[in-house]
Amino acid sequence: MVVTSGTALGAVIGTIGLAAFGIFCGLLYKGFDRKIAAHMQSRIGPPIIQPFLDVSKFMIKDSVQPERALTWLYNAAPIVSLASVITVLLYLPFGGLTFTPILSGYGDLILVVYLLILPALAMVAGGFASSSPFATVGAQRKMVTMMSYEFPLAVVAIAIAWKLNQLYPGESVFGLAFIYSHPLWGHVGPAGIIGMLLLLFSIFVVTPGQLATVPFDIDEASPEIAEGLTAEYSGRNFALFYLADAAKMVAVGTLTVALFFPYDLSPLIGISGPVGSFIDFVFFLLKLFLVTTLTVTLTRVAVARLKISQVPTIYWGATTAIALVGLILLVVPN
Amino acid sequence: MTSLPFWNPVICIIAFVILIAIACLFRSRGQKKYKEGTAQTEIFLSGEEPPAVEQRHIKSHNIYWGFFQTLKEYYDPTVRAHTGIINDFIIWLIAIAALTAVILLIASLT
Repeated sequence: MVVTSGTALGAVIGTIGLAAFGIFCGLLYKGFDRKIAAHMQSRIGPPIIQPFLDVSKFMIKDSVQPERALTWLYNAAPIVSLASVITVLLYLPFGGLTFTPILSGYGDLILVVYLLILPALAMVAGGFASSSPFATVGAQRKMVTMMSYEFPLAVVAIAIAWKLNQLYPGESVFGLAFIYSHPLWGHVGPAGIIGMLLLLFSIFVVTPGQLATVPFDIDEASPEIAEGLTAEYSGRNFALFYLADAAKMVAVGTLTVALFFPYDLSPLIGISGPVGSFIDFVFFLLKLFLVTTLTVTLTRVAVARLKISQVPTIYWGATTAIALVGLILLVVPN
Repeated sequence: MTSLPFWNPVICIIAFVILIAIACLFRSRGQKKYKEGTAQTEIFLSGEEPPAVEQRHIKSHNIYWGFFQTLKEYYDPTVRAHTGIINDFIIWLIAIAALTAVILLIASLT
């Protein structure tokens, strides 16, 4: 693929724009998450813009570096974490079919699955570098959680690509833009539908692990290890982790939407052009909101935190088994 | 176009570097100062005295404690099987070789 100077400039501007909008959406969803969770618990909750206020406050607070910390790694971890999450967004069809991913054609679903590990790894490195016993315990737990959810997530990704390859042999079945433009639900039989539902369930279980929310927030576990990984982080460094977390919520939600709900509204209502694109974009944000609310907000209100030794059992046992059954039902001709 | 996975690492690294620069720029807008050498920089351990630096880190054996705990029904017999006695390892080798030969024989007959 030839890269001209105009394309490169457009990509840079697009990257900056997507970074800003991805973070904005992430913070907004965090606001909705806190508000909805509060109402579910009969509380009023903070205003929706509270995450924005939090970030602006973090930026003016002291950015303390604990004594004996490995300073360069301690400071680099939040930067790498944020940059890697936004990199993931560049490969995802954020905004619907009209909005081709900025790096479409330069990376695929497998790359996205692997890139999603980077922010967590950066947090682990930052936790170990901070020289805090709480943070090192948190880092240890994060490693175990991360290794646990990767397996079922990989099964889901492979299942979708495998089925697409059966339907469209020779096509770029791992490309996110291709996956988004070729929904599977209408091309599978009853067993395939059940398979898709099982795979959807699996990714719904994986999402709280990816985002370190209840019941898989063992690496933070505030009452037990005082936020764990980020126990020693404050000020601008903590702000970057906070923004990375918000953007990751958008990235993981977008991945789920791309794999399982790749539908636009404009063809259905017969509107095209800029208005149609706008409607599709709003529809995409709505789907993202619903996926996030279901996987993060409702889940964290409904269930309690697990123990670290339960996490591999759940992911490597039940979730992987469900995903594998889903894969078999999806790819076996029916 | 191919149905195999694809990735352009150069483009990925360029994008990553640009985003690192943006993150650094954003970080530079925040408060840089803190009170060095005060209680502010001491490790928080719920009021307890922090252990010596060399004792703060998790030993490599314990990093994957969650896994060992969960999969102990698999690990325990596996560890017991590793006796360190060469005779035991030779027996394992012969047993596995025999099993593989039987599987290959059955596979070739079907």
